[in-house]
Amino acid sequence: MMTARFLPVAMVVTVFALTFLATFRLGGGWVWDIGNGLGFLAVAGLAIQMFPAARTGIRQRHELLGYWVLALAFAHGFWLLAVDGVVRFYLMPGAPFYMWAGLVALIVLSALALMSHMPERRHWHKSRAAFRRLHRALSVGVIAATGLHVTLSGFYLSRGYQVALFVLLLGTAALAPWWMAPGRPARALQAPVAVFLSCGGLAGVLFVLIRNAAP
Amino acid sequence: MKPVLATLFLAGLAMVLFRMPWTDPEASRSVRFPGEEPVLAMTFHHNAHFTVACATCHHEFVDGTTGPPCINCHVTDPTVAHRLETQFHTLCRDCHAELASDGETSGPTRRCIACHLPDNAF
Ligand code: HEC
Ligand code: HEC
Ligand code: HEC
Ligand code: HEC
Repeated sequence: MMTARFLPVAMVVTVFALTFLATFRLGGGWVWDIGNGLGFLAVAGLAIQMFPAARTGIRQRHELLGYWVLALAFAHGFWLLAVDGVVRFYLMPGAPFYMWAGLVALIVLSALALMSHMPERRHWHKSRAAFRRLHRALSVGVIAATGLHVTLSGFYLSRGYQVALFVLLLGTAALAPWWMAPGRPARALQAPVAVFLSCGGLAGVLFVLIRNAAP
Repeated sequence: MKPVLATLFLAGLAMVLFRMPWTDPEASRSVRFPGEEPVLAMTFHHNAHFTVACATCHHEFVDGTTGPPCINCHVTDPTVAHRLETQFHTLCRDCHAELASDGETSGPTRRCIACHLPDNAF
């Protein structure tokens, strides 16, 4: 039986462990790896968000973690734009597809947060059922765009099997609302945000340290 | 919620459209090589690459000709100009990344600004 703490720890560990299956010494330098550590943390948070919450107070955790994922995704982008003056050319015409996929993921994630925020939600959705349908569809879209962004940029996940496992992980998470509890609200698996952040912070530090200071 | 997100996206747009004041002014596209195409600058030092065989990069040496510097052809020749980024990232970045994966000293693997500033010497 999974406990509420298990999910965030397992997800953070799995996502970061995947990047270390091969080429664990390969980094882009300290500042570059910090930026992408933030990105991988956002991916882990996103995957956790796909696991359904029970109807009780647990849902507030889902909402809170959602803002953290959004903040991490923005931090990932802003950090890289700020520390490297050339990155902005990868958000201009002619940039590779995976950069546009990342931008789409960020925009749809922002829309998702905006349309679920409580007073506004009623304005956007006629019924609870309509809200849930759209919320799930958009979140699967965010996962797909994020998956393309990470796999096609092909740096930290440089081997085919790493990409395959990563896609499997994202797919399992994206379909969690369906395989976990078809037709009814699931058990309370939603992650305590504090567990996610402390475990994620530690994983991020290790990610940067190993790639830059390993002998 | 709306104003926060709007501010973030506008700030992001500004960071894409305008060079941030703390970044190098040379980190930009301009007409640096023959031809009209503005491109990013390139950092390259032969003395950091003395271990690499000349022909790895100088494919134009193979038939005995010492042509013009790479970029003269690669920015102007329409058969390769559109592949400038792919071809050079594959040549330069992938060699660095492979060496780095093996834990060896290498050049920049990803950080753009490490390769895209003018070096004014080669
Ligand atoms: C190992 C060195 C190296 C790294 C790292 C590198 N590049 Fe390049 N890049 C080159 C070379 C060499 C060229 C071809 C010559 C030129 O355009 O200056 C090139 C060409 C390009 C071009 C096409 C020319 C143009 O102005 O449109 C773009 C765009 C580009 N790089 C963007 C980037 C971005 C963004 C990054 C960081 C994510 C990056 N590069 C990282 C070496 C590198
Ligand atoms: C790692 C790739 C690389 C290697 C290896 C390399 N060069 Fe170069 N070489 C370049 C680049 C890139 C330029 C253009 C530099 C510029 O425009 O700033 C260049 C320019 C030159 C030039 C002046 C322009 C020209 O093409 O006539 C000469 C001469 C030259 N190289 C000779 C050599 C010789 C001799 C060797 C072997 C000992 C060698 N290079 C090895 C990449 C390389
Ligand atoms: C005389 C013009 C000319 C010069 C000088 C030149 N190139 Fe090229 N280069 C070409 C052309 C044309 C091709 C395309 C060849 C093809 O597709 O068969 C090419 C192809 C390449 C490729 C792709 C090779 C591949 O296997 O896909 C690389 C990388 C490259 N050049 C790097 C360089 C570098 C680095 C230099 C300078 C050290 C340089 N070139 C100098 C004209 C030139
Ligand atoms: C076959 C492998 C190989 C290729 C190809 C290669 N490099 Fe390098 N590069 C190296 C190695 C090895 C070093 C590290 C040298 C050192 O620090 O001892 C290096 C270092 C560098 C550095 C940092 C050191 C310095 O003094 O500038 C830059 C910048 C660089 N390379 C740019 C380039 C560019 C641009 C190209 C393509 C035109 C290129 N490299 C192609 C192997 C390669």
